[in-house]
Amino acid sequence: MSKTEPTALERFTNGILPENPIYRQFLGMCPTLAVTGAMKPAMTMAAATAFVLVSANVIISLMRGLLRPHLRILVFTLTIATFVTIADRFLEAYFYAMSKELGPYVPLIIVNCIIISRCEICASKQSVGVALADALGMSLGFALALASLATVREILGSGSWFGVTLLPAGWPHWTIMILSPGAFFTLGLLLALVNWVGRRRAEAAALRARIKG
Amino acid sequence: MEMLITLLQIAIGAALINNFVLHYFVGICPFLGVSRRTDTALGMGLAVTFVMSIAALLSWVFTYYLLRPGAPLPAWVWQAVGGKSGVVIDLSVLSYIMYIFVIAASVQFVEMYVRKFFPALYKSFGVYLPLITTNCAILFACLEIMKHLQDPTRLWGLPEALTLAVGGGLGFTLAIVLMAGIREELDQCDVPHSLRGPGIALIVAGILAMAFMGFAGVDRGIETTVTILMK
Amino acid sequence: MADEPRQGGYLRQAWLVIVLALVYGGALAATQTALGPRVAANRLREAYREIPKLVGLDGEANIVPIELTAADGSQRQAYEVVASDGTLAGWVLRASGQGFQDRVELLVGVTPDVSTITGLYVLDQKETPNLGSLVAEPPFRDQFRGLSTDQPIAVVTSTPTTTSQIRSVTGATISSTSVAELVNRVIEDMKTPLRRLRSGGK
Repeated sequence: MSKTEPTALERFTNGILPENPIYRQFLGMCPTLAVTGAMKPAMTMAAATAFVLVSANVIISLMRGLLRPHLRILVFTLTIATFVTIADRFLEAYFYAMSKELGPYVPLIIVNCIIISRCEICASKQSVGVALADALGMSLGFALALASLATVREILGSGSWFGVTLLPAGWPHWTIMILSPGAFFTLGLLLALVNWVGRRRAEAAALRARIKG
Repeated sequence: MEMLITLLQIAIGAALINNFVLHYFVGICPFLGVSRRTDTALGMGLAVTFVMSIAALLSWVFTYYLLRPGAPLPAWVWQAVGGKSGVVIDLSVLSYIMYIFVIAASVQFVEMYVRKFFPALYKSFGVYLPLITTNCAILFACLEIMKHLQDPTRLWGLPEALTLAVGGGLGFTLAIVLMAGIREELDQCDVPHSLRGPGIALIVAGILAMAFMGFAGVDRGIETTVTILMK
Repeated sequence: MADEPRQGGYLRQAWLVIVLALVYGGALAATQTALGPRVAANRLREAYREIPKLVGLDGEANIVPIELTAADGSQRQAYEVVASDGTLAGWVLRASGQGFQDRVELLVGVTPDVSTITGLYVLDQKETPNLGSLVAEPPFRDQFRGLSTDQPIAVVTSTPTTTSQIRSVTGATISSTSVAELVNRVIEDMKTPLRRLRSGGK
């Protein structure tokens, strides 16, 4: 019995909110907490992750007919590690200051569960177009999640957004938001917010369905 | 004695001041996933420490002798095939791939060991043991060791690398056991619906992180203390 | 997918991994060749951009990295800064050690006879943002300029009373003290070897 597999469009829209890698799947938390102290490093990390995710998904999808079951994780890891090295060297060459700020978190993209799980769930089974859409959707979802966190932390912690000062000079900087406790609190509270909104919408949809039927 | 001071500083730095989970945010997945009961948490922490030590040992050996700029083995091969002298061979572009394989091998080794000598523990781990391969903390330890093998005037030897791994692993264990203890209590409480699960765990982690911030500066007294004790 | 028969051994099954390893290895080697020199230049550029300023020079200078045996027996790196007219403008020393949170890396500029500090630059620090990180900012750093190397520099939390005292960053006493201690230590270690080099070599 074959199950109809999600189309490219479904894969794309799934990754943004319904199966958001951070808020729904809870994958890739390490960079989320680490680089979201400000928008610039967060967006650089999102771009690097997007590059690796898209490249890995496309390459794995091209190879999907050749993968042996017990060696596939090895192939995934080899591919991902290669693209991460390329991304890391590129950042070091052209964005040196940002590369120093991101530090070890760019190579840590290798063990970012999002990428391996997308290779396993989608790229190794579906065509290049679908894998590409999936990667783009997940990357967008990841970037949105990082942006939501970084916005809160940067505005409260430094009074700026993308380095542009927004709050008046009299506002005291909540430095704790830039440090690690702030990361944990912000993610926990935003997660609760997303859950709450999701539940309210599900309740409203159920209510509407009952009224109609 | 210089060495002892350095090793103590590294150990306390990795375990307490710059705790891997609470300061560097690596190892969050098992931290949130396995920290429901203190005994499984302790087992996971010690398993991670064990894997980290083996991985650190192997990565130090490979990085020192093979991968860093100016490493002895490639230089020897270069000379043997008659290459130009004065050329610095730098194979560090292969580092990340090498570390991933080292970690996968370490996890395999520890899995075999645990399955043979602690079968009950092996069963209770389930799928989490092979998942240690994707544990950021172990790759992070390897990356830290690589960072300290870049500057030829300040190279870390094997003792420093192993101390970082064991210290970091024990710090991870401490954090995860603390978390498990707190969550055991939380399970009895009435947590708001939206916060249940990862939400409240993250907030508790934030409070723990604040507590650990109090350790900053603790290593400044090490040099004086050791000097006094050794007299 | 049906079970693969195990004939042909591991080589037949692993051919993909081996081919990939070679292809990826080639890609990485290409990346290294293309980007490697740029990365190396980036690493040098930050230090080299600051070094002339640390000895009071405005424009370009000839920077010569040297290695010396310090007073404690260790091998240290320093930079000899030669002005465009050929005279020795000063020395720049590298210092690193534990700050409050993590390691701090400094560049200290001194006069040719190592009698006065001419500048301080913080290459790398991971201190508390908005607090300890302010040691890298000009107001704190500029206090070191013009101080004599005869006496160790002390950090006070109120207005300095002697010429060998500087004021700490408010709320970051330990970060400030660490920086001062690093400066004191590197000058103490390198004073004699540098003076010997200057009188012997020149």
